[in-house]
Amino acid sequence: MSVRALWILSHEKGENVSIRFTRRFATVEHRAKILAGSSYRAVPEDNTVLQLLLTELGLSDSDKSYVALRDDCLHRKRLPALELRVDGPGKGFLWPVLAISHGPLTLACLPLVDVPAEPRPPLASLLSVSQGLTLLAGLQTFLLGSGGKPDSEGLASRLAMLPSVLLQVCPLGTPLDVPLVGAPATPTVPTPAGNQKQPAWKTGLHRGRAVVNVALIETVRSMQYGNRSRQDLWDVYGTVTCKCEVEGVLPNVTVTLTLPPNGSPLQDILVHPCVTSLDSSILTASSVDNCDGSAFSGPYKFPFSPPLEPFRLCSYTSQVPVPPILGSYQLREEENQLRVSVTLKLHESVKNSFEYCEAHLPFFNRDQMGVVDVKVSAGQLDVSKEKNLLIWGLGQKFPKCREVTMEGKISFSGQTPGPTDPLCTELTAYIKLYFKVPDMTLSGCCVDQHSVQVYSSAKPRIVTSRELQSKEYFIWNSTGTAPVASGQMML
Amino acid sequence: MAVNWAETWAERISAFSRSPSRFLSGTTAEAFLAELLRELRDDRATYSVKILLLAPLCEYPTLLCPSDSVGEETALELMSVLVQCPPKSVQFRCHLLLGLTSVLVCTSCVSGRSRASQDFLDLLLQIAQDTSDLHADGALRSLRATACDCLRELEACSPGLLSQRLELLSGLRQRETSRLHQAYAGLHTLVLRNAVYQLTQETGAGAEHLKALLGGNTSVAWEAELDSGPTQDEDPAVLSSLILGPMGTVPTLQTGPDCKELRSVLSSLLEESYLLTAPCQAALLHRLTEVVAMVPGVPPAVFRAQLLRLLGTSEVCLLHTTLLMKCAFTDSLFSAEDEAFILQRLVVLSQHPLLRTPEKLFYTDCILHFPENRPIGCGDGDETLPVLLTPRLASALVPTVFNDSATMLARINLLSLVYLEEGEEGDGEGGRGLAYLYEHLTSLLHIVENGGSRENVVTFFRAAFLFLFYFCHVERYFHSMMEKLSTVYLCHTHLAPHFINLADRTQDKLSESSWAVGLLKALQGVITEAPLAQLTSQDLSRHLKVLARVAEEGEIPQHSTLRFLSSVITPSSSCLCAIGNWRLGNSLLAVCRRLLVHPSLDSLLMPLADILQHLACRYGDTDVQDHARLYYTLLTTLSREKLAAVLAQGSTEGGRQVKKRSLSCIMVESERLTSMLTIHQTEKTIFKLIEAQSEPREGTQTDKGSDLIQNETETCPGEASAALEVYRAQFDVPGFASDITLNYQLAHTEAEDPRFDRLFSIRVHFNLTDNHYEQLGDISVPCLFRERPSPTVQLRLKPRRPYPTTLHASAILTTQDGLSWLTTLPHIHVAFQQAFAPLPAPPACGQRGKLCLFDGLWDEISSKSGEDLDDCATSLFCCPLKEAALIALVEEHFLPYLLSDRSDKEEFKVLFFLPPQSHVLLKIRSEDPVHFNIATDNWQLLRYISSYLLTITSTQEDAVTD
Repeated sequence: MSVRALWILSHEKGENVSIRFTRRFATVEHRAKILAGSSYRAVPEDNTVLQLLLTELGLSDSDKSYVALRDDCLHRKRLPALELRVDGPGKGFLWPVLAISHGPLTLACLPLVDVPAEPRPPLASLLSVSQGLTLLAGLQTFLLGSGGKPDSEGLASRLAMLPSVLLQVCPLGTPLDVPLVGAPATPTVPTPAGNQKQPAWKTGLHRGRAVVNVALIETVRSMQYGNRSRQDLWDVYGTVTCKCEVEGVLPNVTVTLTLPPNGSPLQDILVHPCVTSLDSSILTASSVDNCDGSAFSGPYKFPFSPPLEPFRLCSYTSQVPVPPILGSYQLREEENQLRVSVTLKLHESVKNSFEYCEAHLPFFNRDQMGVVDVKVSAGQLDVSKEKNLLIWGLGQKFPKCREVTMEGKISFSGQTPGPTDPLCTELTAYIKLYFKVPDMTLSGCCVDQHSVQVYSSAKPRIVTSRELQSKEYFIWNSTGTAPVASGQMML
Repeated sequence: MAVNWAETWAERISAFSRSPSRFLSGTTAEAFLAELLRELRDDRATYSVKILLLAPLCEYPTLLCPSDSVGEETALELMSVLVQCPPKSVQFRCHLLLGLTSVLVCTSCVSGRSRASQDFLDLLLQIAQDTSDLHADGALRSLRATACDCLRELEACSPGLLSQRLELLSGLRQRETSRLHQAYAGLHTLVLRNAVYQLTQETGAGAEHLKALLGGNTSVAWEAELDSGPTQDEDPAVLSSLILGPMGTVPTLQTGPDCKELRSVLSSLLEESYLLTAPCQAALLHRLTEVVAMVPGVPPAVFRAQLLRLLGTSEVCLLHTTLLMKCAFTDSLFSAEDEAFILQRLVVLSQHPLLRTPEKLFYTDCILHFPENRPIGCGDGDETLPVLLTPRLASALVPTVFNDSATMLARINLLSLVYLEEGEEGDGEGGRGLAYLYEHLTSLLHIVENGGSRENVVTFFRAAFLFLFYFCHVERYFHSMMEKLSTVYLCHTHLAPHFINLADRTQDKLSESSWAVGLLKALQGVITEAPLAQLTSQDLSRHLKVLARVAEEGEIPQHSTLRFLSSVITPSSSCLCAIGNWRLGNSLLAVCRRLLVHPSLDSLLMPLADILQHLACRYGDTDVQDHARLYYTLLTTLSREKLAAVLAQGSTEGGRQVKKRSLSCIMVESERLTSMLTIHQTEKTIFKLIEAQSEPREGTQTDKGSDLIQNETETCPGEASAALEVYRAQFDVPGFASDITLNYQLAHTEAEDPRFDRLFSIRVHFNLTDNHYEQLGDISVPCLFRERPSPTVQLRLKPRRPYPTTLHASAILTTQDGLSWLTTLPHIHVAFQQAFAPLPAPPACGQRGKLCLFDGLWDEISSKSGEDLDDCATSLFCCPLKEAALIALVEEHFLPYLLSDRSDKEEFKVLFFLPPQSHVLLKIRSEDPVHFNIATDNWQLLRYISSYLLTITSTQEDAVTD
């Protein structure tokens, strides 16, 4: 349940590689040696590890189209646990090397194998693997900051903090916690003397006015084909994020999610570890199972004791009968130009009040756009600076009829070729929708302000909000071939 | 200044951690350690730098402390630093505790229960119990937390170390209300687990013993055994996880149903588990699962209250512990419905939009190693499908082109197993699923065709291999896959290495299937039938690679290949011959070379001869011409059998079969030549250097001869300084007495590999690990046969500083089959005494003269030390030795260096000369204790000489007392 070594490296698509941080845990290595006996493999020096890791991740020798060690078809990289082949005197395999990447940053660690190493045990038998994943993910979040984007200065300063961070979260190779991303905004005080034990995941105690903030965000994804032979797909998932400023060592808070009378049950519910208890009925509905109508449909009660920082209380998926915006996209090739025809319909159940709504029409594997002779029934049309993307801004509202259209012709006559995409060739093309609707959810799920219960002396201020946003919302051209997005519907 | 100093250290430490071996080659581990410890004691150094200085000790303790005794000393040093450190530098003190733990654990001081480790343990327990920080700020408290972590690590590395303290730890955990209770809980659970494990290993241990253990009752008799010091520390079993799955057996402790005390401890720990962070909670649950698995008297139902919370969690390590519980307890904790639910949950998690990819892939892997209540298979680590995983359930995991490559391949693998089970024919779920997979593969191929990235290409070929691996027996895909691929090849010839790799692998792994041959045949078809007009030389070279591979298949007729070759080289269609590209020429020859050994050679004879002749006469590169001429001659003059015999030798895969290689064979090999030219690497060491008995040194030899002269040319003792001058003048000649010669025997190691029984042309190369010596020259040994006596080799070392060192050695050699090999030899350790040489006195100088020199040097060193001879030092080493033992010691070790008369038993004068120009002089007086007066002109040698004296006198003592 420990890791032998930890590496953090940065690279730009396999180039300019550098090791930014490394840590060996000598006592864990000592245990590894005893546990593995004759099959023990020492961890090579960092440069060797780096090379092996890059080869295994397919990032080495980026200028060569085929390298046997890297590209052999027999050799499938089995993420999250890679196998590094060590050559030379200590020849053998280093396994399981966990690696996670985000942009230019790759984090890796080597968990201790505490079961017989031959034959190779399944990952599931090693608790150190899931703990290692938690540690890496925690460090990644810490290093990238809350924005998820690495800026080199911020990254460097956070890397410099790692030694003291590791002293807290993983002093001797055994992960104890994940680093805190940001200090809590409100002042906290250390534990008072008392009988109540303070949770280890709570760095201090809140002092001051009690405020509970519950935000429900639903995300909708869709693949629409406009084709009878192929069923359109959409799904919805929701997350409930809380920020609770409540006094007490272990205050009790309960958040209840409710559905409208005919709402379909929330599925695949996952909860934060601070949830104290769960009713079994809450967990029964699942997206991979046949839904029976008698399934439990709320109210969903989540009693918990909050940590100081904002956290994701729970998440769910939901099956809604219709997509919020139904689109149709048709392209026809006409002598050097494309005839475009688009219709977007906003479903009547959706509140016609957007924070933003945009349709993006990218054109790949063609020259730059020349003449764009396109009319829209509503909204505003822009051509991107690179002249390979049409942006149709629909603003805050669809017209009363809840339907907008785009018709016209585009010629491609620019001097320089536009971007390429091996997927979107010929008439394979898509529209991607970006929108956000405040104060609504597709599933109908909501957190009533009065249903939030806080068991504490002072009366808390409770703020709830909800919104719907899109992600990976595609409308494929129905006159071209479109890639299959999920086989589930096909089978 | 201070900033520079801190930066220098930061750079040095980072250079060390980048490559400790390179860093230490510029200094010694000993020196670096001494430097670190000195800086750590230095009051002027800032604590942030000191924390940095501890990093090498935390990360590479065994490199810096190569022996237990050095570890022990280092630990004592660190502890004294800790004692002197002001209480407010908490971070530094925490790091010190970590460094101490690393040093003591890794040098086996803890498992040996050494003095320092006992002291450290007491110190940690003291810190852990010291709650005076209660009202201080959190920072101070972290020292206590770190102490607990160190205790936990000590217990983890030396299980049972704290078994006696179970009650104390339990009390500390219960009393603690700050966040620190987590550290106590982790420690307590681990100690509990190890203590229960120890009990299971005691015969006759039962409920009473368990009760006593938990109550800290030390009066029970078996306690003595528990505390019997270094016992099973190095036994991997106690460190291993006890959650083993269906086939493993867990050691058990028979207690009967009444284990109230244990139950109450368990329930208290479980109740508070919610208060721990996810990783700690997971570790705690894992340890408690092990405890319950070992004590059948406690029902697994104690975990039930936690299960729902754990099954609903979004934390990967918490869900993982439920899987481990399931593995340990199967249907005694999980019903059939639970099992179905957990599997369904795993499928959901494997594709949950809010989880990270590595977590999803982990869950996918867990499905293939699902701990079933009643497994059908033997659970030998192979991937097996859980019975409850229906195609319907699995369909949530079908691959799509939007997946990243690792996810896609993991899903193809999983789904292939599902559909294989379902039956792949017809319209059943399996058949439809398979059709989907094939369609998916086609989409991937389209992406490749449309200029997909390198990753797309590699992913496609891996996906194709997986598909073929499972389904190449399904006829409808067998052919269409081949056709599709061969068409794609023609437009994308740069994929040739991928195609050849796919053919190789499918042939290797699917030896029953003819798919690979089919693919190669199809590739031959598209290559040879394509119009030549647009053929670029790049395409041609790729085609030739493919055709060479095609020509290895005896079943594939080769006429079309020959027609193709002939049409590309005839002048009318190309200027290939005129340009005379060497690479292309060799690619052409590579195809011809394989055709020469093709089973259907008889029918290929004429066209092949034509092509070779054409190349021999017209090709614009002489080397290619020569090769072609040789092939032509072989083809036209040798009988088929002979030709096959000559060429077949080259075509056996290098390493698979050992054959003698003749020169003609090397000549005809054009491509396989690489196996001859490549230097292979041996897996094990095949020979080593053993220190041989040194021959008598030059000094003593000349002594004998000059004994007669000495009386005549007696030097007056008063002229010692003149003699010294003469002696010193010798060193003006460059290279005078500057090296030492060590004799070694080159001998085979035990490992029997008949390939290496007879070795030729061995060239041994040495690498220094420090800069105390000049680089050594290589040594050549003509041959080494296992059955013959070992040859002797001489190592000529030229010291810069005559310190002990280690040499790394490697050798290049040739085996009987003509292959070249690179092998590494075990490291050669050069001891301090190996650098000793007799006094290189001028030849005219007799025994007396040498004594004179001795006295001259002695006086100079003892009187002048401190002046211009800064490096001079004197020292005294005492040890109790009987006279007989002393004489034996002198005879055994000092004879070549003895200058005084052997009959003079009162005082022995011994002089070691150490190249390039150091002297160690000994006056040994047989008193009680024996006095070894030491004088040297190089004080740095003192530490080596005293440890040398310690070693030889202690063995002498043993010998005498025996």
